[in-house]
Formats: sequence, C-alpha cells, structure tokens
Amino acid sequence: MKKKKRFSLFQIVLMVMLFLLTLTMIVPLLHILARSLSDPLQSGSMGGLEILPRGFSLINYQVLFSNKNVVPAIFNSIFITVVGTLINIGLTIMAAYVLTRPGLVGKRVLMVFFIIMMLFDPGIVPEYIVIRKLGLMGSQWSVILCQAVNVYYLIIMMRYFEAVPLSLYDAARIDGAGHMCILFKIVTPLAKAGIATLTMFYGVLRWNEYYRAGIYISSISKVPLQVILRKFVVDGDVTTLVGTQNLMDYNALAQLDYTALQYATIIVAIVPILLVYPLVLKFYTKNVMAGGVKE
Amino acid sequence: MKRESPKPSRLRRDLNRMWSDRLLYLMILPALIYFCIFRVWPMINMRLAFYDYKAKGPWVFAGLKYFKMLFKSSAFAQILRNTLIISFMKYVLLFPAFVIFALLLNELRSNAFRKYVQVVSYLPHFLSWVVIAGIWMSFLAPNAQGALNQIRGVFGLDPVDLLTDKGAIRWILFLSEGWRSLGWDSIIFFTAIIGINPDLYEAAALDGANRWNIIVHIILPALLVPMTTVFILNLGFFMSAGFDQVYNFSNSAVLSVVDILDTYVNRVGIENAQYSLGTAVSLIKGVVGVILVLLTHVTSKKLTGEGVW
Repeated sequence: MKKKKRFSLFQIVLMVMLFLLTLTMIVPLLHILARSLSDPLQSGSMGGLEILPRGFSLINYQVLFSNKNVVPAIFNSIFITVVGTLINIGLTIMAAYVLTRPGLVGKRVLMVFFIIMMLFDPGIVPEYIVIRKLGLMGSQWSVILCQAVNVYYLIIMMRYFEAVPLSLYDAARIDGAGHMCILFKIVTPLAKAGIATLTMFYGVLRWNEYYRAGIYISSISKVPLQVILRKFVVDGDVTTLVGTQNLMDYNALAQLDYTALQYATIIVAIVPILLVYPLVLKFYTKNVMAGGVKE
Repeated sequence: MKRESPKPSRLRRDLNRMWSDRLLYLMILPALIYFCIFRVWPMINMRLAFYDYKAKGPWVFAGLKYFKMLFKSSAFAQILRNTLIISFMKYVLLFPAFVIFALLLNELRSNAFRKYVQVVSYLPHFLSWVVIAGIWMSFLAPNAQGALNQIRGVFGLDPVDLLTDKGAIRWILFLSEGWRSLGWDSIIFFTAIIGINPDLYEAAALDGANRWNIIVHIILPALLVPMTTVFILNLGFFMSAGFDQVYNFSNSAVLSVVDILDTYVNRVGIENAQYSLGTAVSLIKGVVGVILVLLTHVTSKKLTGEGVW
C-alpha cells in the first residue's frame, strides 16, 4: 500500500513535468493563432501567453489572400510539393525495388555509390553552377529536380520492401510476371504503409523548402510560400506584403498589426502540415503509439 | 553457352544475369542520372576551389590560393570554432535528452497521457525552420509582450532580448533544437525500449529489482545499439551544425558567434559571388565530415560490432 502511494506520486510529478513540456509546444502555436484572429485595434498589446483572440477579425487573412504575391506563392508551393513529391516517390520506389532484388549483380557497387552521395555534400556553390549551366535558373524545375532522391528515405523504403516475402516475388517471376507488374501489383500494395509514410516525409520536405527556392527562383511571382514567409517573418520585410505605396500613404492597410499579419502567414504555412500530420501518426508512429509493452 | 563450358566463368555468369535483369538496371537509371547530374557533377565542380572562376571560358588554375586565404584569415578560425561549438552542444550535450525522454515516456502508466505527449512532441519536427524561427521570435519577443518576458515579469525580472544576446544565442539554438527534435528523435530509443522481451522484466521483478535497477540493467543495455547508430549519424552532421536553423536564427548582432561553415559559404559564395572561396570551404567541410563518419564507423564496428550500414 505504502509502496503504491510513492509510485503514484512519482507518476504525478512525471505527468506534470511532461505536461509543462508540451505546453511549451502548444501555447506559442495557440498564441500565434489567437493573435492572427484578433481585432487589429486590440491585438497590438497582446501578451505571449494569451491564447484567446482579443475581439475577432479575419482582416489579417483577408489581407493575405488578397495580396498579389501570397496567393500565387501558395499555388507555387502546391505545384512544387505535388510534382516534386511524385518524382521523389517514383524514383525512390523504383530504386528501392531494384536494390532489394536478390542476387542483383552490382548491388554492392550501387549501395556504395548511394552512400557516398549521402555522406558527401558538395555544397551550394558547385550545385548553383550546375543549375546555371543547365539553364534552370529562375525556373521552379531547378528546385524540383535538384532534390529528386533522398538517400536516407531510399534506405527506409528498402527496409519496407525487404519485409515483403520473397516467396511471392519468386512465384510471380516463375509465372512470368515483369518487374513493373511485380512492383505495382505485389510489392507496392504490401508496402503501403511505407510508401504512405515516405510520401508524407517527402511532401513535408518539399512544402518546407525555402533556401534553394530563394536562390534559384528569383522572380517573386514564382517563389513558394516559405520564401515569402522568411522575407516577412525572419527578415521583417513588410513591403513585400503590404506594398510600398500603402506604406507611404499610411492607409488602413499600413496601419494593421504587422505582427498579427506575420502570425497569419505562419498559420497558413502550418495548415498543410497539420492536415497530413494525422496520417504520419497513423502510418509511421502507429506502433510506438500503440501503448507501452506489446506482446 | 552451357554446352561450351561446364563451369562458366564468373564474369560470364554475371554478364548473363545482368542481361536478364536489364529491366532492373533501367528502373534504377533515373535515380542514377539524378545523382550524376545533381551530385556527381557538383562534386567535379568542386575543383573550382583550386581555380579562379570565369563565367565565360575555362577557369584559371590558382593552386592553393583560396585555402591560403582562408587559413590566414581570422574569420575562418572563428567560423570553424562556432561550427564545432554549436555541433557539440546540439549533438553531444543534447544527446542524453532524447534517451531520457524515451525513458520517461516508458515510465508513464497512463496510455492516454503518453499518447497525448507523443502527439504534441512529434509535431514540431514537421515544421520548417522558418516557421520555428517565427514561433521562437514570438516567444522571445524583446518587449514585455514576449511569453518569456511575461513570465519574467511575474517574478519581477526585467525584460531580456535573448535573440540579439551573444551570450545566449547558442543556448537558444540548443533549446530550439531540443524543442523541435525531442519527441521525434527519441522515437528510435522508445521503439527499442518497447521491443525488449517482457520476460526480462518478469525475471528482474522476481530478483527483487526496482525501477532504477531495471533501467540500468535491462533498458540501457538494450539502447546501446541505437545510441551508437544515432551518435555516428550525428557525427556526420558535425561539420554542418544544422544550416537551416542557424540561418533563420542569426542576425547581425550575434553573427560573430553563430556564423558557421554553411552560413559563411552562403554569404561569401552565393551572396557575394566569390565562388572559389565558397567552394574551398565546402571542400574542407565535406572531406573532414566524411573522415569523421568513416573513423567512427570503423571504431564502432570494432568496439560493438555495430556500424551505421
């Protein structure tokens, strides 16, 4: 009895500690959401621990979505994310399938090649020169193509493919099935969780990309949202969003709460992540979340 | 062919096999072409470190000019030091936190609460560093509005601006890295813990072991392999120190203490278009990085029989 009481005290301390830890993740996000939804006349003095909007207004979002740079940037992000992820997953699936075939001649050489590609990063300047030589400068294809395969993800995909029983593969080969047929009819359906997981990982990488897009795509009408977000939030450059003319006239638009406008931009950039996050939990972390000790 | 020789040579056999597998090689070709264009070609371009760049016509050989320039400048020493310090903080000092977090998750008796902690703590990993910098700038806002300064206010402390404080900024990098990765990077350890055979716990209970004994004698030994793997992988990042984070958290006030190899390459190589100098830094970084990983890989394989691949 005594022992049980001490044990539960430890549990309470532990739970309080971990709960406080999660608050550091939840409160800033809720505050950012709250301020972005507040009435700009009242939100200027909001404290960082306030998680409820002061008044209510969608003006920050209206300004964002009527901005001539933001809406195209969202579509650019969607385009780069969708096309980029499709290329990622296509190349990764094919490479992972090939590298997990038994008895493939040259498998070792190929693996060593990929590991060198993973370990040695040539840096941004030599890559920049290649992009320029290829004439991809200023095009969204520069960003899409220059990150077509991630070796870490390729190795994870191989682990999923290795779990598909080889007997199925051998049987299909004996029946005369081609590799493409085996890949799409046998391996892909059985490695569904892996493919779903890696599609999301790649998708998140694509959506969050800002650095190369900022260098390779110069025109503001072609850049993805994260580039605008960085300019606005990290560099504190309001002119991109509010417009020089509005600032000079100091009209209604220029009198907004810029911080709240920044927060609204952050929220817009987070929403797609929140949409796929439940899928990550479902496919990737299902096992670790199934609860404690498993039989 | 079978009739010609009863024991076909290995080369012959391999060639036959390769021909019958030709479709497989075709399937991996797109990935190979990608790496050749966007990785191998840049690697070949790294010879630029020994040349003067010319936009038109061939580059002019410059020998070790750019390396001498680097090693003579005090800037390079400072940048190297910053990189190593920041990496040490993020990859060595922070390392136990992931293991401890996994242990604590495992100690929780309430499944629902554990699930809640997992759902919340895995999320920041998926946010871009631009977004995270935005969140932390909000949290650390210098005026009384920032959450931190609000909390300090409660205790009667003056507001602080840690983002422009040279003494604090590296710890901000350390903490924000922990904030982002604590949950996600502990998954590998938590997976190893829940994979432990329950019989071991039962046997330990029979021997009268308490929670602490169990952690020390059963759980930690089971974590040795993932700990080694993660540690070696971390060493692979040592020369990088996490460009995206530093790039988004740095500002002119603290640049001298957070400027790392990659931010220097970006500023010199891309913003100032000193291509050769930028490439020289990347070359040093790449070579040292690979040596570090190979050394630890070999050592670890000798000591524990576990490498990274």
